[in-house]
Parts: sequence; structure tokens; C-alpha cells
Amino acid sequence: MLEIKNLHAGVDGKEILKGINLIIKPGELHAIMGRNGSGKSTLANIITGRDNYEVMKGSVTYNGKDLLDMLPEDRALSGIFMSFQYPVVIPGVNNTYFLRAALNAKLKHQGLKEMNAVDFMHLIREKLNRVQMDEKYLTRAVNDGFSGGEKKRNEILQMLTLEPTFSILDETDSGLDIDALKIVANGVNNFRNKERSFLAITHYQRLLEYMEPDFIHVLIDGEIVKSGDKTLAAELEKKGYSWLEK
Amino acid sequence: MSYLNQQFDALLKYWPDEDKNIRTLRTNSFDQFNTIGFPTRRWEEWQFTDFSKFIKKQFRLSWADDLPNIPKSIPGLIPDLNFILIINGHYQSQLSALPDGVRVSTHLEDFNTDENIYTYGSSQNPFQVLNTAMMNSGVPIHIESNQIIEKPIQIIYLMTNLSEPLMNHPRFHYHIGENSQATIVEHYIGLSDQPYFVNSVSHATIGNNASFNHVRIQEETESASHIASTHYQLETDAQLNATHFSWGGELFRHDIQITFNGNGGDATLNGLCLTENHQHHDQHVTVDHQHDGCNSHQLFKYILGDKSSGVFNGKVIVRENTKQTDADQSNKNLLLSPDALMNANPQLEIYSEDVKCAHGSTTGQIDSEALFYMRSRGLTQRKATELIISGFAEEITKSITNENISDYINEKINQWLRSSNNDD
Repeated sequence: MLEIKNLHAGVDGKEILKGINLIIKPGELHAIMGRNGSGKSTLANIITGRDNYEVMKGSVTYNGKDLLDMLPEDRALSGIFMSFQYPVVIPGVNNTYFLRAALNAKLKHQGLKEMNAVDFMHLIREKLNRVQMDEKYLTRAVNDGFSGGEKKRNEILQMLTLEPTFSILDETDSGLDIDALKIVANGVNNFRNKERSFLAITHYQRLLEYMEPDFIHVLIDGEIVKSGDKTLAAELEKKGYSWLEK
Repeated sequence: MSYLNQQFDALLKYWPDEDKNIRTLRTNSFDQFNTIGFPTRRWEEWQFTDFSKFIKKQFRLSWADDLPNIPKSIPGLIPDLNFILIINGHYQSQLSALPDGVRVSTHLEDFNTDENIYTYGSSQNPFQVLNTAMMNSGVPIHIESNQIIEKPIQIIYLMTNLSEPLMNHPRFHYHIGENSQATIVEHYIGLSDQPYFVNSVSHATIGNNASFNHVRIQEETESASHIASTHYQLETDAQLNATHFSWGGELFRHDIQITFNGNGGDATLNGLCLTENHQHHDQHVTVDHQHDGCNSHQLFKYILGDKSSGVFNGKVIVRENTKQTDADQSNKNLLLSPDALMNANPQLEIYSEDVKCAHGSTTGQIDSEALFYMRSRGLTQRKATELIISGFAEEITKSITNENISDYINEKINQWLRSSNNDD
């Protein structure tokens, strides 16, 4: 369970998040909606441990452990994952090699046997199918020469392979056409179960039509100004955000 | 410089019966060296490399007595290649293995065939004339015409553990006959903690429609000063694929020259330098397009750690009235430490209109976005850093097609990464 309490955080001494409270229980999918600059990405970066972000007040715990004290890799090994809004190109690093290294880091952490290349290829082919990705992307460098849509599928492929228990989907719908969006959403939906929880960050309602959230939170100027069920998305679509502003 | 005079006299005495013409070549070259002297930082082409410490050192030429017992296992030997073994400057023909169609000759024979090779491009370079004066090792290698030599030939130029500072002036000539294909690995490897000096000159003539793969590995110890000149001359429709690796030596300077002597030549020259501690690697490349329809591609990468420094100076010249030249040159550098330093100077000199040219140079640090991305997948900072660096190197290593050679190189790069990453 992810628990965020009175979180104040920002960059360069500037406060961006101004007291976030949020509890995400196993099996739940929460959506955070808001305009650019409302603090959505800051929240994702704080949870995953990106450098240069500072926490001024409050706490973030995952299954009782203080996340803010942990290195990004240790958070990942504890089951936290983020599908990046802008997946990073890593020239010269083979996509398959990278994914297997990441999976083996996790298996090792869990005290399990690491996977050899043959078994891994078996596993990855099955996961590829689920996001309808061409096998040629396995032989390329990580995200190198991938289109926007392919990058997002590659993120979901990583999620399906690493099997995190808490996944952040940061603007996963951006840059996707409707077919790709359906595939990505399907990948996520099939991955949902009672143990796994999700935080979807998005501008638009579109993603949520294919990926049904349990809760929706509206973030304005670093604060959650309204929370509700999935019907809130439709209301926002109709009325915009201004009626919620102070 | 007095020790060099002394060494030069000793060399003349050591080979009293040497051919008269070669003797004259040596004496003239040594006079020329004494006129030019060692480079100073006031020389434009040498300004980023400090020879003041090197000049204070003294080295003795390696004699027959300096041949140690042959080590049981030869360091650097790449499995399943033909090889030529030279230990402390002494050619071990009985331990070398060469296939049909390949012949090792003598410098006397080469000199009598084409004496110009010995003075080619040397007028500005004191180390090259010093090599001509003192050349005491290395061999001419001939690939006969119409030969496809499948198995690469590895030259191992080994400096063993020395008891005093030695120097050698190896000289290799590669004659690649018409329509032939061959791969030569020129591999300098050292084991000594004593200072030593390797001053090499290599000259490749690639015949009409011939294809030459050249892998140069500079793997001296950090006590070494390694100075080198390499010339490639491409005849009509000749192809060159050269890849240079260096991670050894305290001081490394390499002047590389590619000249097209006929139309339709195609040259690819890639390089990778790995430096740490106080190492300094300086490479100067000149590509001279003086014929039509020739292509040249260069990519040089440097990975610099600690207080090490690098210099890349690349010049592409396209002469007047040449047609359909395609030339590009790229230099990319990765600084692993705030104290590492890179000087890059890519230059184009174009005197013709019918050209396609591109050049550029970038120097940066490890991409922090990539680092975070990988860490967010559970890889440690160290593992992620290693992957990013080896990914950076991969663009060069992938141009090696022979698997045994690329395995050797990749293993060395990984060793380098593990040891340099351990420091912090």
C-alpha cells in the first residue's frame, strides 16, 4: 500500500506540491488529472526518486517502508515502477540485454535464480505478444529509433516483464493513436489484479475510457482539490478545470 | 638529447655490416631529427601535448640480450588467428605462423623496392624521422595479389617486464596486393612498470581493388610513452576499414594519414580511447582527398576518467578539381570526471565544389536521464553507468567483424570499466 501524507515538495527551493494526501490500496487504480504545471510529474518523480527534487515536509511510505530514504534502484526492487512520459534513448545498449539485466536484478533481490538468455527469450516473446510489439525492437538499442507509440509499448513491455506491485503511468496516452492506446490499455488491464496498484497521470479523459479507474483526483497548483469516482472524468471533460480553481 | 646520440652511435656499431644505403638513410634521418628536435607546445600541431617530462627521460635501445625467456603464455594472443610475435623488439619467426599468400620480408628488400616509403610524410614529424634513424624492429608484410586471407594476422609487439628503461622503434609495412583481402591486428602490449618508449611507424599500401582491415590495439602499461605514425595509401577502388583502440600508455600520440592515390577509394577509420589517472592520448588524423569518387568516414570516441586528457585533431582535405567526394568526420567524447579534459578540433579544408562533407564534435558527461531511467528499473548506479559507457563504446566495437577479435576488445573494455568504476 502506498501512503502519501502531507507531502510538500519541489525543485530549487520552490514548492510545487503543497500538502498531498493520498492512499492507494492493493488492486486499486487511481488517476491524477490536472493541467500542465499542476505538479503531476513532480509527484511521480518524488515517488520514483529522481535527483534534484526535494521534500520539504511530509512522508511517502510503501508497505510501511519510508520510500523517500531509498535509492531509485531500491524503490524499483521493492516493486515500484514508472512508465515514463518521455522514455530515454540509451545508445548502444541492447533492449533485450537491458530488460534481462533489470529482471535479473529483481530476481536476485528476491533470492531467486537469475534467468539465462534462452529462458528469457521465451518469456519476452510471450510478453511482446501482449503489447503487439514487433520482435525487431528487441535487437535494437533501448528506445533508439522507436516511434512515440513504440516507446510507450516498450514501457508497458518492461512493466509486464518486471511485474511491479505499484506502477505509475505517466502520460502513457500521450503520443498514442487510438489503436495503440487500446493495445497499451489492454496490456495494463490484463495486468491488473488484487495485489497490483496503479497511479495513472493524465491530462485527458481519453485514457480512462479504456482503463477504468477506481478513483480520480484533480490536482491544481500542487493540491488535490477534488476526488471522486470514474464519473468525475466525464464531468471534467465537459466543464474543464476552471470551476475547481479557487 | 645526448643519450639519443649515444644510442645512435651504439646502433651503428651494433650492425656494422648494414647496407650502405640504409646506413645513409639512418644518418640523414638522424641529422634531420637533430635539426627539428622534440616538439614544444609552441608547435601548432603539438600544442596540446606536453613532452617536457618525456624529454627528461632516457631510454636504451633493446639488444639481443634483452630478449627474455619466452613466456609460456603470450599475453594478448587472440585465439584462432595467424600471428607474428615480436618480443622486446625481437622477431620470433620460429613462434610465428603465417598462411600461404603472406610473406614477411626484410627492410633491406623493401628499401630496394621503394625507398620513398621510408621518408614518406616525415618532414614535419620528429618522431617519424627518429624512427627512420633508429628503426630496430618490425617487419614488412606482403599479401600477394588476388589472395583472400580469411584468418586475420595478429602482430603481437610485446614489451616484457624490463629491468631498465628501454626503447624500440618498430616499423611495419603492409603491402596489400591487388584484389586481395586481409585483416591485420597490430597489437602493442606491455607488462613493464619501468618506463619504456615505443616509437612506431606503420605504412600500408592497399593495391587496386584490394580490401584491408586494420585493427590497431595500444595496450601498453601506464609507464610507457607510445608515439606512432600510421599511413594508409589507397590505390584505385581500394578499401580500408581501420579501427584503432588505445587504453595504454602514460603518453600517447598518434598521427594517422589517409591518402587516396586513385579514384573510387573507400576508407573508414574509427577509434576508441579509454583513459584514466593521468594518461594523455593525442590523435591527429589527416585524410587527403586528391582523386575522384572517394569516400572517407571517421568516428573517434574518447572516454576519459580521473585527471586524464585527450586530444583529437582531425583534418579532411578535399583538393581542387576533385569530383564526388563524400567525407565525414565525427568525434564524440564522454567525460567521467570533472577533472578530465578533452581538446577537439575537427577541420575541413575544401577546395572543390563537388563534395558532400560533414563534421562535428561533442563532449559531454554521462546522461543523467539515462542513468535515472536504468536505476528506476532496478539497476544499481554502477551497473547502469557501466552499461551506458559500454553502449557508448559499442558504436566503435561493432565495426570489428571477427568475433574472436571483438570478444577480446569487449572483454578488455569491460575490465577497464570495472577497474575504473572501482576507484570511486
